[in-house]
Amino acid sequence: MKFLGYILRNARRNPVRSLLTIGSIAVCGFLAMVLLSLFSTNTEVRSTLVPFNRVITMSAQGFTQPVPIALVREIPAIDDRSGIHAIVHRESDDKPLVSPFSWYGGKFRGESATFFAQFGVDPDTLFDIYPELTIAPDQLQAFKERPDGTVIGRKLAEDKKLSVGDSFELKGEIYPFDMNLTVVGIFDGPEKRDLRTCYFNWNFLNEGLKRDFQGQGANNSGTVLMRCKSDELVTKLCAAVDEDTKSSDRATKTQTEDAFVSQFSEMIKDLQTYINMVGLAVAFSLLVICGVAMAMSMRERTSEVAVLRAIGFQKGQILFMVLTEAVLIAGIGGFIGTFGTMLLFKFWDISPYTMGFFPFFYIPTTVAVTGFLVSLLVGLLSGLIPAFRASSLPVIDGLRKVV
Amino acid sequence: MDREAAIVLRHVTKSYRRDQIQIPVLSDLSLSVEEGEFLALMGPSGSGKTTLLNLIAGLDRPTGGEILVQDNDLARMSDGQITKWRSNHVGFIFQTYNLIPVLRAQENVELPLLLTSLSRKERRERARTALRVVGLEGREDHFPRQLSGGQEQRVAIARAIVTDPYLLVADEPTGDLDRVSAEEILLLLEQLNHEFEKTIVMVTHDPQAAKRATRLLHLDKGKLVADVAQGRDVRTAVQPENAS
Amino acid sequence: MAFVPLKYNFRNLSVRWPTTLLTVMVSAIVVACSCVLFGLVDGLMYSQAVSGDPLTLLVMRKGADNETSSNFSIQTAQDLATLKGIAQGRARTAEEAQKGFPDLQDKPLISGELLNIPVMSRSDGSRVNLTIRGATSASPYLRPKFEIVEGRYFNPGTRECIVSRSLVSRFPGTRLGQQFRVSDKEVYNVVGIFTAGSSAAESEVWTGREDLAANTNNDRSVSSTRIRAEDNRSLEALIDSITNESRFGLLPKRESVYYQSQNTTALFLTVIGTVIAVLLTIGALFAAANTMFAAVKSRTREIGTMRALGFSRTAILMSFLLESVVITAVGGALGALVSLLFSNWSFGISDFSSFSERVIQLRFGVLPFAVALGMTLAMGVFGGLFPAIRAVRLDVVKALREL
Repeated sequence: MKFLGYILRNARRNPVRSLLTIGSIAVCGFLAMVLLSLFSTNTEVRSTLVPFNRVITMSAQGFTQPVPIALVREIPAIDDRSGIHAIVHRESDDKPLVSPFSWYGGKFRGESATFFAQFGVDPDTLFDIYPELTIAPDQLQAFKERPDGTVIGRKLAEDKKLSVGDSFELKGEIYPFDMNLTVVGIFDGPEKRDLRTCYFNWNFLNEGLKRDFQGQGANNSGTVLMRCKSDELVTKLCAAVDEDTKSSDRATKTQTEDAFVSQFSEMIKDLQTYINMVGLAVAFSLLVICGVAMAMSMRERTSEVAVLRAIGFQKGQILFMVLTEAVLIAGIGGFIGTFGTMLLFKFWDISPYTMGFFPFFYIPTTVAVTGFLVSLLVGLLSGLIPAFRASSLPVIDGLRKVV
Repeated sequence: MDREAAIVLRHVTKSYRRDQIQIPVLSDLSLSVEEGEFLALMGPSGSGKTTLLNLIAGLDRPTGGEILVQDNDLARMSDGQITKWRSNHVGFIFQTYNLIPVLRAQENVELPLLLTSLSRKERRERARTALRVVGLEGREDHFPRQLSGGQEQRVAIARAIVTDPYLLVADEPTGDLDRVSAEEILLLLEQLNHEFEKTIVMVTHDPQAAKRATRLLHLDKGKLVADVAQGRDVRTAVQPENAS
Repeated sequence: MAFVPLKYNFRNLSVRWPTTLLTVMVSAIVVACSCVLFGLVDGLMYSQAVSGDPLTLLVMRKGADNETSSNFSIQTAQDLATLKGIAQGRARTAEEAQKGFPDLQDKPLISGELLNIPVMSRSDGSRVNLTIRGATSASPYLRPKFEIVEGRYFNPGTRECIVSRSLVSRFPGTRLGQQFRVSDKEVYNVVGIFTAGSSAAESEVWTGREDLAANTNNDRSVSSTRIRAEDNRSLEALIDSITNESRFGLLPKRESVYYQSQNTTALFLTVIGTVIAVLLTIGALFAAANTMFAAVKSRTREIGTMRALGFSRTAILMSFLLESVVITAVGGALGALVSLLFSNWSFGISDFSSFSERVIQLRFGVLPFAVALGMTLAMGVFGGLFPAIRAVRLDVVKALREL
């Protein structure tokens, strides 16, 4: 690495150009990180769900249609009857870990648009189904006991400055009545989980339908959530449940939590395709940008290269120096653009500004590393043509340009 | 070492092809340079003197004939071999100095040593020695733009001698300098020729500069038209000096 | 004041044509990337705009934000038909009659429709919610430019359906004569392919309301009702009478207002598009600046000469600025042209209000080209400004001495 000193000097030779090139790569790297993370975050989070073996039953007609609440009892029965025994039972009281899971979709305290998720659940089993979520035992007890109690995620509590005991009003949109809840607990969980969700008692929602809507749509749940022992059993359970309901008028679709969640990103698949195309276009543009900068650099240095060749530098050494310089510049820009962006979003939570599309947002390490490697590759490729031209220019031609 | 024939050119021709036309530059030129000679090449523009210099320095290849430098047939060497040979045996001095602007004086001088297996410390010592020889002690950390033309050319000369080559080629080394600086540079070349036994081939337009050489060649239209030995006999001035 | 003749710039451009060409290419790529996305936004906004008829009322349950979350009893829907001021249907054209359009002549233009949004697999296997609309005999007359382009209109009660042309080939079983399979119990024969003037209906499959009701066990309610008023005054009257009838619990909205309010997706895409456009512009701007700095540098002596000849600083500034704008403008124009190649693209985007698939034909109206123009000017002006300033600030005497 004797040449490194010289290469570094060369990279700094035209600071404006190097900075512009680095800036260009950093800005595009930032863009690529943000865009690619929109989807890979989802993929990465989904993979963290897999080990919990959770299963969701929804209507075969899509999640806008509810399923009967009776399924909460029937599914464990099917599980037992068919001898699959997939569903986890609580050790203390042998209760199957199954809960209704009903989207409420209301507006919080007069907001014109509310972007956090609200679900009606069974307070008794929810935190056993979600062992990765943590809550203080007394708060959990309160959640189980108080019919109008709600537990909210830590980040939601921080966003809305809520603490235990505060009232929590939701205005119905899909449901024709409002919900006046009270915060009885604040739960926490892993960084890569939606901590901007509120859970309340499904019964409270059902009572509302009976009271204010002549019982229309009552005794239904949006979906049913359960936790299973292993993934082989999951497959069998899903098939068994759907087979059982197939002939009824309320056919279901049962799938893993992972598969259920992935529906949402599949919906915007075309956008994903577009964003991947933009990613490619960005990489290609950067190749051109770096290549042009490097070519301009080398053209201004033609005579110097000729001098180096005259005093005995081999073609390969020139090639190496030019390529290293190109990779260096692209790498600096790429490093800032990728790891810088990753760091930025580590400390800056943009979720409150994303209208609920991203309850949490971060740049996955794999995305950043890939981006950085791409920037190095861009540097290498962009340097190829200028490097070959510089190293293969006949020495006397290069020297003649000076005089 | 064969002192009698350091550089031998036999029936060398060189022509360039420009578009469809062959332009002859050197035709059937034979020449023999002895070790320790200080050769000045003169002649009008286009006479082929720089081409001859480039051929001797291994920068260019002849169209015909052979060039033997220290018994190496330059025309038969590959590009890689000839490049390596240049780095070991030839030092270059250019009219426009051609220093690397982003490197300090000392780093410029060290540049050719990067191609050797010398340690960092040895490289630095050699570069300092070379700078001392050209009288630039204390200017090691200056960038080229902080030096005068004469000083820049001295750095270039230090760079040329730092690998202890036996042949120095200089293409109009005083062309860009004022009289006083030019004198200093010529004195330095003379000294290198005398004291360090460097064989020097210099292209020049300047009769004053040519006078410093021990032998003067005149070229015209690619042919040698005059070959004059002049000045002192080099061999009487030899000193037992080997390392630089 | 003497301006530097443009010819001078062009001569120079042609000298460094490779780098110039590449810079043009970069600006073309970034403009094309942004244009395509804004073409989508434009298409979406156009679709929203044509979907809303100023004389049509969309009646939904009070509190519901969109058709998907609305539902009310079929009895109430029938009561609405008794209101005064509802426009009458026109006579069928001969072609319409031949294609089996329902006869609505002298009958009220009111349509209580039912929606179902099942999860469907696209042809490539990815899943999405698709809107299936249970239509009535008035439905086609309440859509702009409703046309059957292949086959015929469906016969209600016979499990037939018609499919929007944009959906054909995106979903399996949607070609004329094929069977469109939602679930084992819900299968329709495709008897026609329709278009509806790029309106929202173009993302839907239509069948008879009674068919859909039977298949989804929902024969007691409708999702929404569309009413065409005779004129503006009767529209006002209709709004008043529906709103004031508290027994209904309904909220009428002008269709045009409703579609304006369904802007979440457009907003989301606009935000993403703006982020992409701004960042890409900055990236490309740096590249343009690099090229221009190199241009200034390589022409230092010429600049000195021109100044010595008497050209003013302003003339030099304008000359370089113009050169930069011309380079990016050529790129921008090229990029806009390239994006036109995508004008036949239809883009599937999930509607974030209803979570159902919207298929949008890209549209290159004013918006994408305004974006292209803005980006081009930003790149050209900001990319050229600093190099031009450097050119202007050159010391004449020093510049003349420069190599």
